[in-house]
Amino acid sequence: MITAASSLVPANISSSLEDYLETIYLLVQQQGFARVKEIAHAREVKAASVSVALRRLAELDLVRYERREYIALTEQGEEAARKVLTRHRLLTRFFEEVLQMPADAASNQACAMEHSLTDEAMDRFVRFFEYLGSCPTVIESFRRCPLSLAPDKAAARKDSNCATCRAHSKVETMSLADLRPGQHGVVEHINAKGALRQRLLDMGMLPQTPIELERAGLGGDPLWIRCQGARLALRRAEASSIAIRQLP
Amino acid sequence: MTATALTLVHDKVTQGLRIALAGNPNCGKSSLFNALTGAHQHVANYPGVTVEEKRGRTKLDGLNAEITDLPGTYSLSSFSPEERVAEAELATHPDVVVVVADSTQLKRNLVLLVQVLQAGANPVLCLNMADEAAAAGQRLDVAKMEALLGFPVVETVGHRGEGVSALKAAILKAAKQPLIKHRLVLGVEFERALTVIARELPTEEDARAHEWVALKLLVGDPTHTARIATRKGGQGVIATALAERARLETLSGLEIAVYTAERCFGFVDGLLREVSLHPARANARELTDKIDAVIVHPLLGVPIFAAAMYLTFWLTFSVGEYPMGWIETAVAALGSWVTSLWQAGSESPLRSLLVDGIIAGVGGVLVFLPNILLLFFGLAFMEDTGYMARAAFITDRVMHRFGLHGKSFIPMLTGFGCSIPGIMATRTLENERDRLTTMLVLPLMSCGARLPIWMLLVPAFFPAPWRAPAMFGIYALGIGLAMLLALVVRRTVLRGAEAPFVMELPPYRLPTLKAVVRKMTERSWLYLKKAGTVILGISILMWVLTAYPKPESFKVDRDIAAGTLTVSDDTTLTNLRAAEALEQSFAGRVGKTLEPVFAPLGFDWKIVTAMIGAFAAKEVFVAQMGIVYAMGNVEEAGADDLRQTLTRHYSPWVGLSMMVFLLIGTPCMATFAVTRRESGSNKWALLQFFGLTTLAYLLALVVYQLGSLLSA
Repeated sequence: MITAASSLVPANISSSLEDYLETIYLLVQQQGFARVKEIAHAREVKAASVSVALRRLAELDLVRYERREYIALTEQGEEAARKVLTRHRLLTRFFEEVLQMPADAASNQACAMEHSLTDEAMDRFVRFFEYLGSCPTVIESFRRCPLSLAPDKAAARKDSNCATCRAHSKVETMSLADLRPGQHGVVEHINAKGALRQRLLDMGMLPQTPIELERAGLGGDPLWIRCQGARLALRRAEASSIAIRQLP
Repeated sequence: MTATALTLVHDKVTQGLRIALAGNPNCGKSSLFNALTGAHQHVANYPGVTVEEKRGRTKLDGLNAEITDLPGTYSLSSFSPEERVAEAELATHPDVVVVVADSTQLKRNLVLLVQVLQAGANPVLCLNMADEAAAAGQRLDVAKMEALLGFPVVETVGHRGEGVSALKAAILKAAKQPLIKHRLVLGVEFERALTVIARELPTEEDARAHEWVALKLLVGDPTHTARIATRKGGQGVIATALAERARLETLSGLEIAVYTAERCFGFVDGLLREVSLHPARANARELTDKIDAVIVHPLLGVPIFAAAMYLTFWLTFSVGEYPMGWIETAVAALGSWVTSLWQAGSESPLRSLLVDGIIAGVGGVLVFLPNILLLFFGLAFMEDTGYMARAAFITDRVMHRFGLHGKSFIPMLTGFGCSIPGIMATRTLENERDRLTTMLVLPLMSCGARLPIWMLLVPAFFPAPWRAPAMFGIYALGIGLAMLLALVVRRTVLRGAEAPFVMELPPYRLPTLKAVVRKMTERSWLYLKKAGTVILGISILMWVLTAYPKPESFKVDRDIAAGTLTVSDDTTLTNLRAAEALEQSFAGRVGKTLEPVFAPLGFDWKIVTAMIGAFAAKEVFVAQMGIVYAMGNVEEAGADDLRQTLTRHYSPWVGLSMMVFLLIGTPCMATFAVTRRESGSNKWALLQFFGLTTLAYLLALVVYQLGSLLSA
């Protein structure tokens, strides 16, 4: 199991220094050693810049010079590098496998993101990712779900066992006017415009607000609603502009 | 007291304080307004709109204060006339704005407070109906609320006058404070957007309203955007507002209106969480729920509604009949007393002006008063208990089919008694378009004054078995046309997006007699003062039209002198003279001039002349017909003779054409005056008058021409 190590890396280490640690770690893994020249090559920077960065990392006790030019990670440095790398790989996989991004873009996104996550956020993210991995049907049904960014929306299948699919199909089709007297729901979205929308918002019909259809008038119109502790009468046509999610 | 505060107070002493009351509908604002101002009130309409403007005076610790009761609104968006009026009043920066909130509905009510703060006011928060909230178990830490908000917060029970002195003290305290800029924490990004927009506002904009205008531009308010667009540099700030809106919408993933509302509700939520000591019980409103289970029950709801309507109708017209009789008797007695001041048979024009013009005119105004008082007693009772909203809930489905509102039902029903109280009852409709539509078609409800006309004409032109169906038909025609016309009006002159119906159903409350009586007298007084003067004026004009010019000598007398005519008794002679006088009068001359215009409808000058008289009051038609046919006062003689005369003179098709015209056309002068007063402009009264008269002409034309074709 992967766990994010408690912070061994000083909190103020910059993202570029983290990248150096990562590069050195990879070089050592591949060829057993790392040199300024190779680091500069891998990071596409000048050797002079590498030297500056290495001096700073040495000050932080993350790297040490074995011989002239040959650089090794301290125990602390290795730990920190492994952590950065784990993050990078995990994020890349997340963008690539779950969010279906192309490999290059996924890696770039991971680079941009890996430095800004706190340890705690990363830890939680790792747990979530592990959960996804341990339960492949979740990712599968997400990919099929019309909510996902599947390239072919038409091919997306609705899964009757999937709560997301069920909820989503309700967002598409269900309005306050579809409730029967006594049924409850939660406001999802107001589709009305202008004066009606303003009035509904003034009445507190905001997204995620619970709402109940208490009764309907003769012939089913108008509707008698309870929302934010108030009783309101709405015409059916107006109620149908309020998208809701039905509650059991 | 500091020196600046002293000068401030000094200013207020010389100029007087300006105080505005803002609040949601049903928050009990009016009772607080009454408690604050007592009898010193002035009620009018804002120019050109149906929104009531209420101002009152009071003394606060020796200071003169003018209090404005703003129309009840849920927010300060500019979608309805009420909201525009309230916003415009706040833009004049009253010294203190009292935000009245229903303590049992604080969440929604305090959103208005947020907007009032944004508009840059010096506020006092008044937590009204505190007794109800307390009874429901809700307890608030008012002191903490005051500390958090930074301005006075008072608890009141408006209808019992509790907490009013504390409110007055709070108003004074707020007035003495220099205007503090209240910072609302509605979110960093939201504030940033407002600051960015406000910075670019044209310099001539009122600095106190900068944040408000910035907010309005941010949410894309059409009124403010259009106004700013014409200013120098206006386009730039509008572009900035658009960019900020896009930024906030992207950030939040919500439309700006929803985002803003969410921010406001979020603020209120946070505030209430801070100050709540104990929340209201969940079942606090169960009594209202129990009553509603019966009142709007699928089976019981309609019978209960019918009973309530019958009771109102009975109260207004059956009970009202007695005082109406007294007024008529008193006016008649006054008339005969004034007549007795002159010699019998005197032709003094002054006497005629006093008796037939002024006294009759005043009588014509006063005679409606019992109806209006009683109807408004009933309406105020229904409104204050909360039943009115339920009644609208029950009737809306039917009324909405015809472009009307559930609340149009009661005014229309009242119209069967009399159009005057009916038109005044449209005040219960909040929406201007709904109100105007109802008002415009209301005279089509066949009123009580038209009943004598039907009683005269139906037996004259219909054989006995057809009389009941004919009566029914004339009422049904009125209702049908009203509905049809309402649809037409909504598609033509009052076209436009439908106003939201979204209607609050307030909890049932037992109204105080004081409040109900106050509402009743307030509205009746408006009728007397504003409509009454017009009715009196037209009455005198009508008197001139029917009494002048007087014939030099009567042809009847000449014929008798010449021996070509013998008259059996004095009454016949008087009647013949009266007929001749009417023929010679302006009304008679106009009738004769218009005869060719109305000939295609089958009318002769006599009918037209009688109809001119009917403008004074519909039932006058019967009397005028009696006079032109030299029958004297038909009411006294009984209408049988006149009926036979009519049967002899006119074909049934003329009769039907007459009925159609009298049902639809020429609403009476009181209707005209009241429509003018209630709609706030001549435009609607004139449209109603000429629109209905044109329709009447066309339909009567079709009836007569078709009838003549059929019988030929």
